[in-house]
Amino acid sequence: MALTRIQPAAIADDAVTADKTSGVIRPNAQPFLINGGFNVSQRYGETATSFVNNTYGLDRWKHYLAGSCALNFQQLGQASAIVTNLQSTSGINYTNCLYLDCTSAASLGATDQMSVLQLMEGYVHNPLAGKAMTLSFWVRSSVTGTYCIAFKEGSTKTYVVEYTISSADTWEQKILTLTDDTLANYNTNTSVTTGSSLEVHFTTRLGTTAQQTTADAWNTGNFYGTSNQVTWGTSTSDVFYLSGVQLERGTYTSATLPPFRHESYAVNLKRCQRYYNNYGGDNPRAFTFDGQYAAGSGNGVGDSYIFNVEMRASPTTSSSYTDLTNASSVSVAEDKIGAFIEATSSSSGRIAARFGASGYIRFDAEL
Amino acid sequence: MIDKDKIVSVTKDYLVGATTSHGYVVVYNINETCSVPLDEANTDYQEIQEWAKIEGNNIIDNGA
Repeated sequence: MALTRIQPAAIADDAVTADKTSGVIRPNAQPFLINGGFNVSQRYGETATSFVNNTYGLDRWKHYLAGSCALNFQQLGQASAIVTNLQSTSGINYTNCLYLDCTSAASLGATDQMSVLQLMEGYVHNPLAGKAMTLSFWVRSSVTGTYCIAFKEGSTKTYVVEYTISSADTWEQKILTLTDDTLANYNTNTSVTTGSSLEVHFTTRLGTTAQQTTADAWNTGNFYGTSNQVTWGTSTSDVFYLSGVQLERGTYTSATLPPFRHESYAVNLKRCQRYYNNYGGDNPRAFTFDGQYAAGSGNGVGDSYIFNVEMRASPTTSSSYTDLTNASSVSVAEDKIGAFIEATSSSSGRIAARFGASGYIRFDAEL
Repeated sequence: MIDKDKIVSVTKDYLVGATTSHGYVVVYNINETCSVPLDEANTDYQEIQEWAKIEGNNIIDNGA
């Protein structure tokens, strides 16, 4: 039944609990899982790219891969029939999804593992600790069967929840509930500040080595699923799609789940930029500097740049200034709020550093 | 993100006129280069510390 008007007098006091309202009465709250709609892809745009172990793909989403199976990942957008099918199936205007495409099939080895995961920063995760929580997402796969979500505290503790994809190549919504571990345990095992806290793994392949025997409970150890996990990637026809990922505090069903919190692209991007900033291509002026030195060898010119948002940690910088004038090298000194970039000269005169068409500068403070 | 198994070299970096290093220049994956700050919360800095514990690996300091 659609709810069109709330009349407080008609609601008994004990019918409204904190868990039931926590996801609804937070108009300014931000999603616990960042970029759950897969709208931001600073690194690769919508280009199909090889899925590499321990690297990031779409913003905030990391890849784990062990074994011989190879695949590509890709952000799909509104032009994709898969995305428009998601919209018609869900009734929600998700405009992107994550796409995994097997490019080299392999049978399952004991140590094989594949997952797409998000490492939550302690400050983001803390409100969930010790509380009931609900993970909801839309998923579609050519491979039906049981899949696993692994909630992890680093390699110390794991909670596995199973779900079933019933129909091949059909979008399905999954809603899973559990109770998070306590803040004291996160303080002991991982982080409650800027370090990695709760990990959420969407597992697609799992050998026997990292299988947990008991689902639906926190267990000591480093696991990614159970023995029921299907083996995706045994055929180059295997595909997997994911979108609308939301993690809510409280216990919900399909009837009570708060709506997916669509953020503007700018807000979503800014949250992602706490962990990664990519400049280049269409914004070559952002980190260009130019100056004059007459003192001779060993001198340089530089400039300071302030990030759009304070980063989680002082970031690692990789850069390619393809248009250097009279500069022998570029040094970067970073902190959380910005970077000082300096080009040193080998002789007196004008010194300049600019991006060429393929130049870039990237700041990485990911977990 | 740097994998310690793929680090080729780590060299202290200095800005012009500075007497103390502000970070490392890391060569990895054969010929890729990046700048890593001296921040324990940076995961690449953590990886360099693990790399430096391995016998035979040394952080190069060419001075200011």
